[in-house]
Amino acid sequence: MKEILIILMSVIIVDNFVLSKFLGICPFLGVSKKLNAAVGMSLAVTFVMIIATAVTYPIYKFLLVQYNLEYLQTIVFILVIASLVQLVEIILKKYVPILQRSLGIYLPLITTNCAVLGVTLLNIKDEYTYIQSLVNSLGAGLGFLLAMVLFSGIRQRIEHNNIPLSFKGVPSILIAASIVALSFMGFGGVIEGLFI
Amino acid sequence: MNQLDTKRKDKIALKSIFMNGIIKENPVLVLLLGTCPTLAVTTSAVNGLGMGISTMIVLIFSNVFISIFKNIIPSRVRIPAYIVIIAGFVTVVGFVVKAYAPGIDKALGIFLPLIVVNCIILGRAEMFASRKSVLESTFDGAGMGIGFTLALLLIGTTRELLGSGMIFGISITSSLIEPMGIFLMPPGGFFVFGCMIALVNKIMKTKKITPKQEMGCAGCPSSASCNLSTVQEDLEKNKSEGDK
Amino acid sequence: MGLFKDLYINDSLIVASSPHRVSDVTTSKIMRDVIIGLSPALIMSTFNFGFQVLAMASVCIAACIAFEAGFQYITKRTHTTNDLSAVVTGLILAFNLPPTLPYWMAITGCFVAIVIVKQIFGGIGQNFANPAATARIVLLLSFTNSMTTWAKPSIPLFGVPAIDAVTSATPLMLFSNGQLTELPAKIDLLLGFTGGSLGETSGIAFLIGGTYLIIRKIILPAIPMAFLGTMIVFSLLIGIDPAFQIFAGGAMLGAFFMATDYATTPITTKGKIVFGIGCGLITMLIRVYGSLPEGVSFAILFMNILTPHIDNFFQGRLYGRSSK
Repeated sequence: MKEILIILMSVIIVDNFVLSKFLGICPFLGVSKKLNAAVGMSLAVTFVMIIATAVTYPIYKFLLVQYNLEYLQTIVFILVIASLVQLVEIILKKYVPILQRSLGIYLPLITTNCAVLGVTLLNIKDEYTYIQSLVNSLGAGLGFLLAMVLFSGIRQRIEHNNIPLSFKGVPSILIAASIVALSFMGFGGVIEGLFI
Repeated sequence: MNQLDTKRKDKIALKSIFMNGIIKENPVLVLLLGTCPTLAVTTSAVNGLGMGISTMIVLIFSNVFISIFKNIIPSRVRIPAYIVIIAGFVTVVGFVVKAYAPGIDKALGIFLPLIVVNCIILGRAEMFASRKSVLESTFDGAGMGIGFTLALLLIGTTRELLGSGMIFGISITSSLIEPMGIFLMPPGGFFVFGCMIALVNKIMKTKKITPKQEMGCAGCPSSASCNLSTVQEDLEKNKSEGDK
Repeated sequence: MGLFKDLYINDSLIVASSPHRVSDVTTSKIMRDVIIGLSPALIMSTFNFGFQVLAMASVCIAACIAFEAGFQYITKRTHTTNDLSAVVTGLILAFNLPPTLPYWMAITGCFVAIVIVKQIFGGIGQNFANPAATARIVLLLSFTNSMTTWAKPSIPLFGVPAIDAVTSATPLMLFSNGQLTELPAKIDLLLGFTGGSLGETSGIAFLIGGTYLIIRKIILPAIPMAFLGTMIVFSLLIGIDPAFQIFAGGAMLGAFFMATDYATTPITTKGKIVFGIGCGLITMLIRVYGSLPEGVSFAILFMNILTPHIDNFFQGRLYGRSSK
């Protein structure tokens, strides 16, 4: 149980997917301007991450490894994720239209997103168990949410600032992101220290 | 006489497609695509180079392949088809790198397989290779690939020099002054990238080209089908800027 | 009619647009008071470490002023160095550095604080992160060795400067390593007879300076009290010495002079209290459980980033937006 909590908290704060691992930068920089979009996107990402892990992990362990087909990992994973997203969209539209309206628009954006494929690959690479993988994916998504929410506040704050012309727009956003990434670097060791 | 003229025109057209990917529409510094690997692997010049070359090979081959089969692939399943093709090449390149440059393979980690979701490749497939000839697609892939590699090399060299005093592992200033370690860490990555784009903006301003104000949503291959309001705004803005 | 004409001509009836009541508080006046508030600590620090302190402070202040003026010259903006905010940033940054830090590193820190954190985002009042805290973090992560070499002050008084950089552990490092029996006596901590950065060593001096700021209404007591109060409560709850915690390290400097920076902290009083509590909590978490011995700068920076949301929560309106 403790191990699960450590994995969860570590990937949210210390090994944050966006600010430390650089996965999911495109949506992070593109969608973080408005808080509603930021939250919606993050929840959709978390959702897809968990489901993708739930499906790709057994496929890897029980199909690819069994038949010595590990080299097909990339192709299989990305196809699974792409089809999964389509499927989820259809199911949501039919059975839970409320969710479809709020999260659905972000779903196509997530298919070609390095964060989702990244987390499925990392789960295998870091040799997590099934439960640990699911927790890791949950944490990755929540970390994404945290980074997006914090950053959207900063973006609102600097939106009307008097920034020098060359730095206006994307450069200032990136430098702001660097400062946000800085703030996350102080928590090294805190999670382990708390639980061990 | 006419044949010579058309041949020269073709050569010039190909050359401009090639140079386009390097400078005018540099995927990283101008189109703002492929930001994940740009930030992650530029901790050293050689990693940037390795990633750039791997991506370029995938880009060229997938561009060519997709261009060859563009009339056969049905439109409804074209995105999944492109993904399969690209994933195939990524797998092959991954194995080649693992075999001949294991150090690079270890340094790049999961970002090698993640080439498959690099917006540049899918984007060029959608916007170029699926419409143009094989020869043009080859040059486009090469140009974009070299542009990507150059950008990664630039950022990687800067970060390596400032962060460890070395370039390609060769000590330059590391014995003279203590290097600033932060450039090898995530904040340093964001910072150097931001400054590079500011520099590019400044250069584009002196050449009177308007820089892009939003991040790569509009260049993303799913942008047409995406209902996200911010994406639609970007598309509108880019369209109106293009008309200017 | 004639009366009005007389008044008008005699300049006692001034026609102007609102605001009609303008207080005479300017940025430079506020900064002047902050500098006065910092001087007890500066004196005490010089006492403990020697004239090195004044040298480092001068270098930092000069570098900050130079960078601000230089940036505003290059970008053709109005010069604001008269408002003394660069002086304050330089002084506070100097307090965050070890006395033996090479000057070029301190100057790099000043560049980060003034140019990157403050000026690129629009100058005074528009930065979202505390310049000195961010610069200290950047220096710590970049030059870890130089930033963690601490000098122990030699016997102070009667001016024998202590440039004898005996590398010794700061009280917080001792705490972090669990060497609880070797912690310095409280009186030493209060009066600064311990190792540490220039500003970590003068608990009482900062308390005096901070009280001055509160009396002069430059800062509200909300943030320092919430900050230090949370640290005290946390310490009591887990059974460590609260007085040690609030006087060791940068807590006093941080609580009174850095966590109260107008631009980067919440506007409402309730928001300020939340801000202070958050700072205290994160500082203690990092100090007690984390691998770093000191967490004040990280805590302040992290809470700075939360500030827009804190303001939004208590005000219902994010900075820069006119309506929901």
